[in-house]
Amino acid sequence: MADAPHRENKVIDEISSKFKVEGKFQRERRIWVATDKESLIALCEFAKGLGFEHLSAISVTDWPGEGTFELTYHLWSYSERILLTIKTKIDRVNPVIDSVVPVWNGSAQIHEREMHELFGVEFEGNQDLAPLFLEDWGGPPPFRKDFDWRDYVREREYDKANERERVYWD
Amino acid sequence: MSEKESIGTEQIEPLTEEETEYDFYFGPAHSGSGNFGVKLRVDGERVVSARADPGYLHRGFEKLMEYRVPMQNAVLSDRLCILEALNWNLVHAEAVDELTGVEVPKRARYIRVLMAELSRLQSHLIWYGVISLALGFDTGFKMAFGYRDYVLDIFEFITGGRVYPAGYICPGGVRRDLPEGYQEKIMNLLGQTQEMMEKIKDFSNIVFARRAKGVGVLKMEDALRLGATGPVLRACGMKTDVRKDDAYEIYDELDFDIPTEKEGDAYARCLIRDKEMEQSIRIVRQILDRMPEGKVREPEKITPPKRVKIPEGEVYVRNEIARGEAAIYMRSVGEGEPYRVKVRGPDFLHMIPVLEHLLQGSQIADVPAIYWSLNICPADMDR
Repeated sequence: MADAPHRENKVIDEISSKFKVEGKFQRERRIWVATDKESLIALCEFAKGLGFEHLSAISVTDWPGEGTFELTYHLWSYSERILLTIKTKIDRVNPVIDSVVPVWNGSAQIHEREMHELFGVEFEGNQDLAPLFLEDWGGPPPFRKDFDWRDYVREREYDKANERERVYWD
Repeated sequence: MSEKESIGTEQIEPLTEEETEYDFYFGPAHSGSGNFGVKLRVDGERVVSARADPGYLHRGFEKLMEYRVPMQNAVLSDRLCILEALNWNLVHAEAVDELTGVEVPKRARYIRVLMAELSRLQSHLIWYGVISLALGFDTGFKMAFGYRDYVLDIFEFITGGRVYPAGYICPGGVRRDLPEGYQEKIMNLLGQTQEMMEKIKDFSNIVFARRAKGVGVLKMEDALRLGATGPVLRACGMKTDVRKDDAYEIYDELDFDIPTEKEGDAYARCLIRDKEMEQSIRIVRQILDRMPEGKVREPEKITPPKRVKIPEGEVYVRNEIARGEAAIYMRSVGEGEPYRVKVRGPDFLHMIPVLEHLLQGSQIADVPAIYWSLNICPADMDR
């Protein structure tokens, strides 16, 4: 940590002077910051002001054991040349979070739409969360850890009573 | 002009007798669209609004990877984009390497970059072929696809596969060393590619300029707002390239330029790719000159997959592939398989927000030019 490049630590210091966050320097050009869901939007706006204008991706990690979804926002700064990841956790039963569309506009819109479809996270304030990839999908959000696609396909597509299809059940 | 967001499948309102607008479907069975469609709301010849219709290639790779060990995922990562399989191999391998902390041998790093650049060259040749077809320049299409086959010959020679290298670039290095006589063959290939670029120069200038100049202009602020990366962003004047800004492998040791244009139209995007091919040739020449000796994988022996665990941690790895910024977020909890893999493909942004934005207000005849100037690949958008 002592010989860590100055630039990365400066960004962490700037963020932690304004927000209550856990900052971590990972390696050159990579920093990670964890925050709570209430201060997410303010932090995102602050980060964009620091130069993190490219929202590279939004990802969700499902933690059914502890009952949370972990959201990660991966931001790149063209001027600072640093990748900042903002992490926050939300409740798994009632997965609602404010949308970052006001901050990053079109790119945030489409990333949130995808995460809504695959994990069932509600992004409040995003106007268009219509299905993207899965046409006429009636099942649960498929990328959740408790969704077993093998069971799902077997139940729906194969008939146990049919002798030729029983092999999928054995 | 109606809002872009308001014309989804569910939101399209039936047209009345008096209205002159009608709906027009570009793709998915269109010969030039790939497995992807765009719904166009058209008034006369003018596109009022566009709505992307993805999902025809959704295979759930991110979920599939949670059930497989890295060496299996390396093979799976080929399929993230059919048109540049080796580049995606590299992104995946780097994510695993960063988690495991393996020191990749120097020679393996050179081979990885060599293959990634040949793959970029090959991908740009496909792009050149399809945009020629879209603009009515059939000679360019046939030539580009013909010359692309020479690159595929090299892929077959080195990896064993023409299109899919079966995870040639794998965690820890590459699967096997370069076969004897590779330098001569690759030098020969570079000569052939340059010969092709020389041949088509005059034709393409006329055809491309007439059909692509001033078409699909993307302004810098829109490009940033909509998440454009790679050649699309560089065509708006932003000098950025992951290979330089967020250097990986051995790119910081290599000498190459980042071509940029200012106009942001389809023609500028064509020029960028043309110049990038020259830069790729330059990089490959440098690599061939400096190729070090040594082993090509760490550890050299491939261990039975079940015994290897990925250490706990999370990484976000970015690469510059032919289409733009490719990235993988990988989270591990110390098991053999990754806990979560998120794949960020450049075309997810280029084919949905950027394409919808550019098509709005364009002419029907310009749709193919805009469409292919973005060099789209439905596979890495749907995943």
